This record gives sequence, structure tokens and C-alpha cells, in this order.
Amino acid sequence: MDYMLMIYVNEAGWPKLSQAQQEQGMAAYTAYTEAMQKAGVFKSGGRLYPSASAATVRAADGKPSVLDGPYADAKEQLGGFYIVDVADRQAALSWAQRCPGAGHGAVEVRQIWR
Amino acid sequence: MSGDLENDRDCKRSLEIRVGEIPMKYMLLDYVHESGWPQLTREEQAHWLGVYRAYMEAMTKAGVLKSSGGLQGTPTATTVRIRNDKTQVLDGPYADAKEQLGGFHIIEVPDLDAAISWAARSPTALHGVVEVRPMHEGTFLTEDISKYLKPE
Repeated sequence: MDYMLMIYVNEAGWPKLSQAQQEQGMAAYTAYTEAMQKAGVFKSGGRLYPSASAATVRAADGKPSVLDGPYADAKEQLGGFYIVDVADRQAALSWAQRCPGAGHGAVEVRQIWR
Repeated sequence: MSGDLENDRDCKRSLEIRVGEIPMKYMLLDYVHESGWPQLTREEQAHWLGVYRAYMEAMTKAGVLKSSGGLQGTPTATTVRIRNDKTQVLDGPYADAKEQLGGFHIIEVPDLDAAISWAARSPTALHGVVEVRPMHEGTFLTEDISKYLKPE
């Protein structure tokens, strides 16, 4: 079953890190991704540019309106995701728990139905 | 449009140019009222499924669609955090908003304006909201990570 792990982090934190800390952070994600690949569960993943680069589109009356910024204004922002193919929800949760983002942000786990 | 918004848009463009990845991947995030779907008649549901299928076919035909996914409803979501070495597992989605993330498309197009045009054609824009987010290339394995780091 495919599950999406959505990584919500406080994106304002990243620029405040030193280069060494940033390298450490990237290495943690590289190791995490490698572990997923080795376990044969990794399907895809992606990292998003900061939410300041987002645009939000609505067309309720048929006429599109475009606003700058993300849809949701929360403490943490969606920064990236993984899609894993695992046996069950418990397995998805244990991968979420190993995600570096779980340590300083939150990882939302949801099954993909198509 | 205000001057600030124009400046923001310029910033986005320069960001894209600086990164130098053209065409670029964009994630279209569909936020919908998930409580609305069960209230539709079977005919209405069939209609909307057809509209979404046509939208995805148009993106496929244009050669821009890389992948897409539909998420099960937020009551099935679980949110995981680790604080002080303790794992906290909570039922429910991370965000509690008027509309809920229901699915996504990843498209590859030349620029933000093209991504916004595809978002504006999305059936979701008619009844919900489509958020457009530029994506970094790669998956942390295949890419040069130095571009994420502060300059030396």
C-alpha cells in the first residue's frame, strides 16, 4: 500500500543554521532516503521551495484568481514528502518516526488511494 | 496587483532563473471540502470523476504530468512527532483548515505562469483551492546538495 509522508517543518529555521548544521541536516535526509531505498519501500519524494514561493489559485465563479502565498498559514509549513510502499499503516508510521523532520517538525501519514 | 506582489513575483522568477532548472517541477496541491463528496449524488460524483479524468488526460497529452496521487480522507491521517526522544502519534492531519489536502499533481513546465495556468484549469479550483509550489530537483540522492547550503 502506498502512503504519503508529508513533512511539516518551520522553514524559518533552516537559514538560521550554520553551514555545518545544514550539511548535517542534508546528510540525515540522504541517509533516511537511502535506508528507504535499501528496504525497498521508497517510491518517490520531493522537496518544495519555501512557502513564500507558493501561489494559490481559485476559480469559484469560473474566473481564476491568483494569490501569492500558501493555502494554509500554520506554524510549520509543508516542506517535502515521501511516498512509500509498505505492508500496512504501522510500517508507514515507523518510517515517519525515522524521518529527520519528525524530530523538529511533524510528519503526517496518509494512504494514497489512486 | 500591488507593487509588493509584483516584487514577490519577480523574486520567484529570479529564484527560478538562479536555480537554472528549466523546465521545472511544480507541485499542485488540491485543497477540497472533503465533506462535500459524500453529499453529491452518484450522477454528480460520476460527472466530477469525468472532469478530473479529462483534466489529467489534458496534462498527459501536453506532456507535463509527472505524477499524481489522491489521498484518503483526513480522518485516516496520523501525525508523528518526536520530542525529547519520545514519539508522539496523534490521529488526524497536521493542519486543521476549512479545506483539506485531498491530492496532488506534479507537473513539469517552463515557468510559474505555466504552472498557474494548469492550476487554474484544475477542477479543484472550481470548488476548492489549488496551491502551486515549485519543487527542487532530485530526491536527496541524485542531486548536488551544495545549492541548498549557505555560500562559503
